[in-house]
Amino acid sequence: MTPVARRRATLASVGLTLVLVWIVVYPIVLVAGQAASRAALADFAGRAAEWRALWASLWISLASVGLAAAVGVPLAFLFEWFEFPGRKTLGSLIALPAVLPPFVGVIAFLFLYGESGFAARAVQWTFGLAESPWRLQGPGAILLVHAYSMYVYFYLLTRAGLAKLDWSMLEAAQALGAGRWRTLVRVTGPLLRPSLGGAALLTFMTALGSFSAPYVFGGGFRVMTTQIVSSKLNGEMRLAMVETIALALVALAGLAVLRRVEGTDLLVALGKGTAPRRRVLRGSTSRASATIAGWALAVVLLLPHLTLLLVSLVPYGTWTTETLPPVLSLANYARLVAEPERLWPLLNSTWMAAASTGVAVALAVAAAWLAVRGRVRLRPAIEALLALPWALPGTVFAIALATAFSVHAPLALRWVLVGTVVILPLAYLVRGLPLTGRAILAGFRQLDPALDEAAASLGAGPWETFRRVTLPQLKPALAAGASLAFVAALGDFVTSIVLYTYSTRPIAIEILSSLRLNELGVAAAFGVVLMVASAAVLGIGARR
Amino acid sequence: MNQFLEVQGLTKRWSADVAVGPVSLQINRGEILALLGPSGSGKTTLLRLLAGFEIPDAGSVAVEAEVVTGLPPARRRFGMVFQHYALFPHLDVGENVAFGLEGRGRGDKGTVARKVAQVLSLVDLAGFERRKVQELSGGQQQRVALARALAPEPRVLLLDEPLSNLDPSLRERTRRELRALIQRLGITTVFVTHEQEEAFALADRIAVLSRGHLDQLGTAEDLYERPATLFTATFVGRANVLRGAAARTLGASNGETVVVRPERLRFATGGSGNGLGGTVVERRYVGAAAFFLVETEQGDRIEVQAAPGEARAGERVLLVADAVHRFREGMGA
Repeated sequence: MTPVARRRATLASVGLTLVLVWIVVYPIVLVAGQAASRAALADFAGRAAEWRALWASLWISLASVGLAAAVGVPLAFLFEWFEFPGRKTLGSLIALPAVLPPFVGVIAFLFLYGESGFAARAVQWTFGLAESPWRLQGPGAILLVHAYSMYVYFYLLTRAGLAKLDWSMLEAAQALGAGRWRTLVRVTGPLLRPSLGGAALLTFMTALGSFSAPYVFGGGFRVMTTQIVSSKLNGEMRLAMVETIALALVALAGLAVLRRVEGTDLLVALGKGTAPRRRVLRGSTSRASATIAGWALAVVLLLPHLTLLLVSLVPYGTWTTETLPPVLSLANYARLVAEPERLWPLLNSTWMAAASTGVAVALAVAAAWLAVRGRVRLRPAIEALLALPWALPGTVFAIALATAFSVHAPLALRWVLVGTVVILPLAYLVRGLPLTGRAILAGFRQLDPALDEAAASLGAGPWETFRRVTLPQLKPALAAGASLAFVAALGDFVTSIVLYTYSTRPIAIEILSSLRLNELGVAAAFGVVLMVASAAVLGIGARR
Repeated sequence: MNQFLEVQGLTKRWSADVAVGPVSLQINRGEILALLGPSGSGKTTLLRLLAGFEIPDAGSVAVEAEVVTGLPPARRRFGMVFQHYALFPHLDVGENVAFGLEGRGRGDKGTVARKVAQVLSLVDLAGFERRKVQELSGGQQQRVALARALAPEPRVLLLDEPLSNLDPSLRERTRRELRALIQRLGITTVFVTHEQEEAFALADRIAVLSRGHLDQLGTAEDLYERPATLFTATFVGRANVLRGAAARTLGASNGETVVVRPERLRFATGGSGNGLGGTVVERRYVGAAAFFLVETEQGDRIEVQAAPGEARAGERVLLVADAVHRFREGMGA
């Protein structure tokens, strides 16, 4: 790099770092500053409800890790080590909850297992009960939803870990006299540690930041995220800020501890080995039981989404006391398009997700270019700033942005954005940065710098090289990062509920108000649209 | 007889046209046997059948007259060194070597530690107990794998391509050390290789495998000097394969294929008379000798090893064979 180019890269990196600091760190610093008043802290510390909510967040998150592991890990072994009819199809189907917006999963659960859901109605009808046999509420309900939606992390990461496990190591253990149990404890387990640690980290962070499930199913049971939103709605903004900082600290502490558990990936260190071979189940009993177990689990795990689809086909007011809906039609979908107040949220979510994704991709490309190609000194700072929003719950950013951009103080780089069309895309952008950043940084690292040099030696300038050589190779990474960010923004609920206005309300908020109006069919139709759009976008993004 | 390991009609069928066996062979106590063959010949499958990682569809494996066919690997008391060593990356050298000692209640910690130290010094790695396996060189990793396999005192040692993961410069020395160690321990050993040179240098006897079948079993000299099939004749050592008129000129009868080693051909003085006429098209100098590529009038290309000054490129020559191997067409080919 010439001295001029280097100086330009340095300048650009300083500019980029400042922009990232402004949107990612500055709002949180402002919140922390306002929260650090003695009165606010004393108010927080003196309320038992605050401590209960903090403790609830922590234990719910830890229990979610345990439950998700209990479902996901055995499932991963079943699908990775055994061959049975339908393995491939089911194996990818049960990874589906990973690609769906959490809020959609929650309402799907409500329709299936809720008080007036299919399961409850079926039990009620079977036993001739006068009332619904259960209420889906409290910590148990939250954990159920968490386990259901977060097992995917353990399932996918354990499968990936098992897939790259050196099979000859298991044979070596066997040859040295280790039985199944000893091999599992002494060899397979330790080798899977990075995968399991990674899954635990993802689950913990997701559960800690989870808002939809506690909001819909919590009832009187509060976790920190719902506590923050309720404080804000009650106008206790100072308290909400202290709560926000407390939650952020728990998240960072959890991150630090779990990072240590994760350890380094030892398998990479030793190089190649033999790929595992799937055990074809020969005995008819074991084959049948694996097949039945696989299918049964898949059905149980996919049932909520099928329920959502079914409910979306039930027109308003046609389904009252029957076990199964008597009328099915596409009326609800027609209403999404025909009624302006329903169409708006669809359009809102689409343009806001597209805008935030576009900017997130541009920032990530600039950051990746400067970090990987420019090798600028601020590289660690840039990478950390891109990753930071992942480590903090969405509620934290929602409160931070609401705090930072509700004041007009241009000299402090603060403007009133709350209530405008800018605030939600800005929130989505911050939340999308880790997704685009991670994918695009990884993509950049895989590029061969020799290709740039080859282009330069053939007379291409930096811009032409970037456009004609770098960018085309980066396409898969761009598509992957962009699709993840877009889907996350499209289905966002947690930041939206803090920052939306009536005219900018997104799909998730409209689903919530439809539910309140008992427009279950419309809510479900929105959910299905979100589900299908998410799956389609991610499908396109994953294509090479 | 001193038959220590006996394999009878061992067969493994993967699909209708991919199968190994039936293979039968006997291995003497303390003998080193190589399973030699090209890739896909079934040598690794045969080794895994011996180890117990694969279950045969037919046949039996017996050690010291005890049938072990149905036994799991460890119960056979066979030690195995894997091609990529399969060292446990989360355990250090000492823990790797101790792995096979701990699970069977073989004495207390002190006994295990002593045994580990003893085996490590056997492979020249004394004092390496607390080293991480990732920090070792390829050659050291191979010796840790060997030590780990030897620690439980197996009856038979199995090695899967033991030297294929090493630098060429390291291979020859490692080969010598490996052979010396095995002979010192007197342990019956079976190893897989696709390199003839490795088989010749390391093994007492060699089993040549081709398409899942045992082609020939014998000493290196047997295989080279008295190949039983056309496959062995061409797979082991350099060989010119001649058919038709060229073969008949070298003394074959109708329908026979002739294999002749480059060093068993020489240039007849005078350039005329009874022999294969041709032109030297290429001369490749390798030091003590040279390889000459001769194209005959029929279009066959024949490699001849001779003293570097024997002929020049472009020269017309007459080739005479000192020894040839004749095979009936189709047999073993």
